[in-house]
Amino acid sequence: MASFLRPGLFRQTCQNPTASQCMLSTFTSSSIKRATPLAQQLRPSFVRSAIPKSTRIAAFHATQRQQLLPPQPQKILGTVNDPAPVPTPEPTHGAYHWSFERLVSAGLVPLCIAPFAAGSLNPVMDATLCALLIIHSHIGFEACIIDYFPKNRVPVARNLAMWALRIGTVVLGVALYSFETNDVGVTEAVKRVWHA
Amino acid sequence: MASQRVFQLGLRRAAAPGFVTFQPAGRIVQRRLAATQNVTATESNEILAKQRLQRPVSPHLSIYRPQITWYASSLNRITGVLLSGGLYLFGFAYLAAPTLGWHLETPSLVAAVASWPVFAKVAAKATVAFPFFFHSLNGIRHLTWDLGLGFKNKTVMQTGWTVVGLSVVSALYFAMAG
Repeated sequence: MASFLRPGLFRQTCQNPTASQCMLSTFTSSSIKRATPLAQQLRPSFVRSAIPKSTRIAAFHATQRQQLLPPQPQKILGTVNDPAPVPTPEPTHGAYHWSFERLVSAGLVPLCIAPFAAGSLNPVMDATLCALLIIHSHIGFEACIIDYFPKNRVPVARNLAMWALRIGTVVLGVALYSFETNDVGVTEAVKRVWHA
Repeated sequence: MASQRVFQLGLRRAAAPGFVTFQPAGRIVQRRLAATQNVTATESNEILAKQRLQRPVSPHLSIYRPQITWYASSLNRITGVLLSGGLYLFGFAYLAAPTLGWHLETPSLVAAVASWPVFAKVAAKATVAFPFFFHSLNGIRHLTWDLGLGFKNKTVMQTGWTVVGLSVVSALYFAMAG
């Protein structure tokens, strides 16, 4: 609602330029409207627009300001002339990790299709599928935690979430192992429940 | 001081007509008359910290127009979290089942689902199948991007809608057929 009201508000304030604007600018709003097409082409692009200036300015202010994360009190590391520290590049956190993620994801594609397409129950294939599912889920949740719990903003919540995920992943591993050994296996269970 | 210098410069220019055209490097020293002030290290840190608070903050996602390019990407994460979350919850429940007296073994699950009405079965299957197919098909789309293929804006939109259509169709098919 506020965003609907605001352009009108700004239009009033922008309609008559202030004294300082009148002095500094060589173009007034009336001269822009009277300009011929050729003269408009010769002018810089910011005066060329046919849309009134007030509307153009108001459009920038029309969006309601929603700050998800307003800035915290700033800490200066070192002196004011020191640049922000850049983390040292580490292939296990970057390129290798990325390739590993893609290999796991790509490996899941045939493992999801094969058991249902072939209709055969292979315990090794089922175990591989479970292992890759665990790794894939863990990496996915890890990425979410890194995105939504920034280290410099909520360090405690970040650590708690990470440890909860690690414990959860281990528990899931135990659970799937027990399901594979004591029960019929994941793909067979899905198949039976689906056709129930 | 400044006015004196300007006056002297004016005199020199008037005396030597070639002065403006011929200027050897380093002859004219630019002077800026600005007030400077010494601040201590802590004071300068405070000024910088205050200045940094004035920086613009990234706007909320809601300012962007809904488009398949970024909506599909968000949906990919949401469906992934739903599927993996379901898997984790089932794992925890399966481990806790003997202690809590629940029956989550396959035969009991099958018997439980078999007793549901057809509508509930189809609805439950569709609810599981749509996230699964969307995440799988969109995952393949993401893997092709990782190979450097299909990056044109038009292609991204086409494949995005293709994935949405295919996942709806396959989810409905497997929900009905099963």
